[in-house]
This record gives sequence, structure tokens and C-alpha cells, in this order.
Amino acid sequence: MTDKQQEFSELEAFFHAARKATPDPDAALMARILDDALVEQAERAKVIAPARRQESVLRQLLRSIGGWPALTGLAAATIAGVWIGVNPPTSVSDQLAALMGVGSDAENSWFLDPLTEYDIAMTEG
Amino acid sequence: MPFDAMSDVPDDALLVLYANGDVAAARALTARLTPKVLGHAYRLLGDRAEAEDVAQEAMLRLWRVAADWRQGEAKVSTWLYRVVANLCTDRLRKRRSVDIDSIPEPEDPAIGAEQGLQEVARAEALQGALQTLPERQRQAVVLRHIEGLGNPEIAEIMDISPRAVESLTARGKRALAEALAGRRGELGYYDD
Repeated sequence: MTDKQQEFSELEAFFHAARKATPDPDAALMARILDDALVEQAERAKVIAPARRQESVLRQLLRSIGGWPALTGLAAATIAGVWIGVNPPTSVSDQLAALMGVGSDAENSWFLDPLTEYDIAMTEG
Repeated sequence: MPFDAMSDVPDDALLVLYANGDVAAARALTARLTPKVLGHAYRLLGDRAEAEDVAQEAMLRLWRVAADWRQGEAKVSTWLYRVVANLCTDRLRKRRSVDIDSIPEPEDPAIGAEQGLQEVARAEALQGALQTLPERQRQAVVLRHIEGLGNPEIAEIMDISPRAVESLTARGKRALAEALAGRRGELGYYDD
């Protein structure tokens, strides 16, 4: 064995001794560290819990649809819908009329009253 | 969950449990990681009381980072070794130079005949010699040869390349061999 090899093998014996002599944490240190852990855990629970508890139903609903930006879009769509209903553009009313069959033979049959004035007077008294 | 049932749970999973309020996970992590953290701090600082302060501070940082820990990204022990090293570096910088009187004296050579005491004497002699090494060499040697980590993990902890780790450990071991050469006889090594 060369001198260098012997030196390093002796060094390994020192490392081996050091590994065996690892300092053990005493009970007081373990207790301090665990105490810190539990304090931090409790602090975190305190921060999270009230934030969740105080949230109103309305706010939860708002959060579930995506917050204020989503609500703004929803409001704009609602107003547009109401406006189209109140004052429909010509193209919309024409298409709606076509869809409903207003002005066609179908409309005439839809609104056709099968009774005459006489029949009504007889029926309703 | 009982403490025993957590012996197979990886560190990062325990950390997630801890962040979710599990007290048993806090106990398991404390029991598992504190000896490692304290041992590493002691070897870098050579002072038990300071090492305890560093161990507590490093663990406190772990508790605080738990909620943001991303499972599978980094090993908890690697992260802790790095935090311990940084905390020790701060403390060592505050010391102007190594106080030679603070290096532990070896045990009386007369009691070196007993195997157990001789082991203790060797461990103390090595601890003293480690304190004479430059800080980065000391850290690399301790991580490689006492903590038993591989070069890639040490490289990650020290934020250097694996080749740089090899270089630091080689230079560190050479310096240690020289520092301990004069004490071979008293520590049970004789030229036969």
C-alpha cells in the first residue's frame, strides 16, 4: 500500500468514527422544534379558517361563476337581451315572425276561430 | 395517523400532511429530520449550542415553507442541507477567524487503548481538523464522507458542478490527512 493510499484509508477510519459520533438532539431541542411546528401550523389554520368562514353565499356564488369580470359579461348580455325584447331590430322581428309563422297560412290556421258568434252565444250563455 | 404508520411516508408527503394540519406529521418530521440537521450544523460549526440554534432556525424555515412546497420538485433533505449551510455560513462570517482554542483537544492518549474511547478521540480529532479547512471544502467533505451523499446531490446543495464537488473533496481530504498526520500514534495508528 502506498503512503497516499494508507493516508486515505486512515482518513476513512476517522470518517467512520465521526459517523458513529453523530450528536443526538436532546429532548429539549426536539420539544422546541416541535413547538415551533405546532405554533406555525396553528397560525396558518387561523389565517385560512376565518377567510373561508366569513365568505357570504353571494360571494361564493360570484366566485363560482368566475368573479366580477364574469358578472360584468353576464350583466351586459342580460341588458342586451332585454333591449332586444323591448325594441327589436327589424331583422330580428322579421326572422322571429318567420319562425313563429306569423303572416303565413299557418298563422291563419293557428288563429282560426272554429266557432261563429252564434255558437259562442249558445255555448257560453 | 399513528406515528409508526408514517415511517414509510416520504418526507415531502409528510410535509404536505403537515401543511394540512396533521399533528402526527409534524412529530414524524421533527423526529426524522432534526438529527440530520443538527449533525450537519455541528460539523460545519464545531459548536453544539450554535448548531442547536441553527437546527431550530432551519426547521422553522421548513415549517414556514410547507404550505408552498411542491411535491416531487426537490428533496426535503437537500433543501434543508442547503438552508443549514447558509445559516452556518452567516455565523462563520461573523467570526473573524477560527479561534484555535475552540478546536477540541484530543482525549488523553493514555485512554486511547480502549476501542470506544479511541473512536471518540478520532471523531473529535477529525472535528478539530475539519474546522481548519476552508468553509466550502469542509462542507463538501462532510456531505460526501460523513453524511454519505452522492456528488450530484452535493452539487445541487452547494450550487456547483459535480466536478467542482470532486475537486473540493479531494483538496479537503488531502488537507485533513496532513492535519491528522501528526496524531496517528496517539489515535491508534502505528507504522508497522
